[in-house]
Amino acid sequence: MFDDQEIISTIEMVKNENLDVRAVTLGINLFDCISHDLTVFKKNIRKKIIGHAATLVETCDQVGEKYGIKVVNKRISISPIALVGASFSSEQMVEIAHELNDIAKIVNIDFIGGFSALVERGIAKGDQALIDAIPEALAGTQRLCASVNVATTKAGINMDAVLIMSRAIKKAAALTADADGLACAKLCVFSNIPQDMPFMAGAYLGVGQADAVINVGVSGPGVVKRAIERNLAQQRLPLGRIAEIIKRTACKVTRVGELIGREVADILKIRFGVVDLSLAPTPTVGDSVGEIFQALGLSHIGVPGSTAALAMLNDAVKKGGAFASSHVGGLSGAFIPVSEDLKIAEAAQKGFLTMEKLEAMTCVCSVGLDMVAVPGNITEQVLAGIIADEMAIGMINAKTTATRIIPVPGKKAGDNVNFGGLLGKASIMDVPHLDLEDIFVEYGGHIPAPIHSLKN
Amino acid sequence: MNKMIISVLAKDRPGIIASITSDLYELGCNLENVNQMILQNQFAGFFITQVPKSLSCETIRQELSLKEKDHELTIHVRSLEEETPAPVAEKEIFLITTSGPNQKGLVAKLSSIISSFGANIVNLKAVFMGGSNPNENVMSYQVLITKEIDAPAMFAALKEKAKELNLDIRIQHKNIFDVTNKI
Repeated sequence: MFDDQEIISTIEMVKNENLDVRAVTLGINLFDCISHDLTVFKKNIRKKIIGHAATLVETCDQVGEKYGIKVVNKRISISPIALVGASFSSEQMVEIAHELNDIAKIVNIDFIGGFSALVERGIAKGDQALIDAIPEALAGTQRLCASVNVATTKAGINMDAVLIMSRAIKKAAALTADADGLACAKLCVFSNIPQDMPFMAGAYLGVGQADAVINVGVSGPGVVKRAIERNLAQQRLPLGRIAEIIKRTACKVTRVGELIGREVADILKIRFGVVDLSLAPTPTVGDSVGEIFQALGLSHIGVPGSTAALAMLNDAVKKGGAFASSHVGGLSGAFIPVSEDLKIAEAAQKGFLTMEKLEAMTCVCSVGLDMVAVPGNITEQVLAGIIADEMAIGMINAKTTATRIIPVPGKKAGDNVNFGGLLGKASIMDVPHLDLEDIFVEYGGHIPAPIHSLKN
Repeated sequence: MNKMIISVLAKDRPGIIASITSDLYELGCNLENVNQMILQNQFAGFFITQVPKSLSCETIRQELSLKEKDHELTIHVRSLEEETPAPVAEKEIFLITTSGPNQKGLVAKLSSIISSFGANIVNLKAVFMGGSNPNENVMSYQVLITKEIDAPAMFAALKEKAKELNLDIRIQHKNIFDVTNKI
């Protein structure tokens, strides 16, 4: 039996605080689909993915209905195509991209991730073919997501790959110029990419995972914000107490995600993998990480104090989530995707959040420079420099960082872009010195892995 | 010994449980189970007790009424048969929560639908929201659903009725309340 407060708080979380499960992602291992024959390979992956995912959406809806918690996105992550399709050319990789896009439509999911390569130590034949195919593959499809891991703490940064990815991003933007470079919103460059992440655009199923696995991404910025507001309305609290409130709230949110994920996995008779504890915002009022900063007493995300607030938020979310579930993975932290978060986009538009501050903040949260629209005339050297900087933060701090930067063709800082749906809308951020052509990133080679015995 | 259930209603005050349980002790009864609640300022208590074979329900009622004659209690006593436990059916509990304007017959209309599908309400409460808005009347029904019950049809009928009554209705499996409230 539940008391009044328990019933009210749960109803409020769902009704007014946008509590939902952000993503149930079905990971599917495609290594047993490998063939040197493209027709056979496409037939194999179609059969395997549809075989596992035919009832994914229906099952998620059914479980969501049972608990009154919406599963917002149902998605699929697959083994890196650069590995399972290593024998194919870049033209054939584009064909695979279209095949995956068709499969995603058949099983009615919004995104399929895993058009991916892992090149932190070097670029193999399949990796090169996939990277070459990325611009055309993303421009010609709607539901495919791509990611390339160019750095790890143990391997260092593959600077050749950084520059190649900068060029790929620019080309993908050019191919979708009429949609404000939309293809780039489906492309992430990573340092320390997690193998089990349920969130797009970076989700893929790593090597060493089960044949099929259900990973869940929780949400809950609205719930955290309201919990802070409710408590601060009663009395002024020191930050340690506020961190405790965030931790407890994250614990509840995580338990909801695990409950739903495990039931979906049971029904589909698929192994349950991890809960990703991330606070993932949407462009909806009341579902914004930026609003949490305002609840914490900062006028906008990006003002002085924001990095400290984000560090506290990120850590409290991890602590609460880790207590709630023994199967935690993925990114697990707070996201600050600019266009996908109403208040972050607003802060950027008003100048409170700059590129430099955003980069600083990524040192203490999950992901990195996410959904950042920049002027289309940014040089490939500056773009590669931004990617390299972000990769260095991940490498040195032994954490995941990523960039999802959209150079919007024909637009300049301050212009508006609208990517639609959960991808949101934002003003294009100012990038200082965006026309430089500094040679640093063109030297290529490898930035060596850092030493960790002399940490400071 | 015979098993009986005794219900006691009274205006709430300190000492009701102490007084009733002392009376039962003096009558040689052995308490098995007790539950109580306070609705607004009214006390309601339920006592399941083993009673010496020589005492009937009416005797117990009269004895308690006599001992508590100054306390304005309403006492009811009923004999309980020893029942063999029913086989455990596969069952799940759903919380059906409605919020909206207070209106006459609201509980009757919804509980009739639940009853017509053969489902059992195991707990019903009016949840106090803490405000003064008459449009924020919240009722929570905890309903036991067995495999034999056509749950989707019942939920659809409840949603239809709620729409007609201008109520917001949420139907959620109890586990969601567990994970958000219990550690």
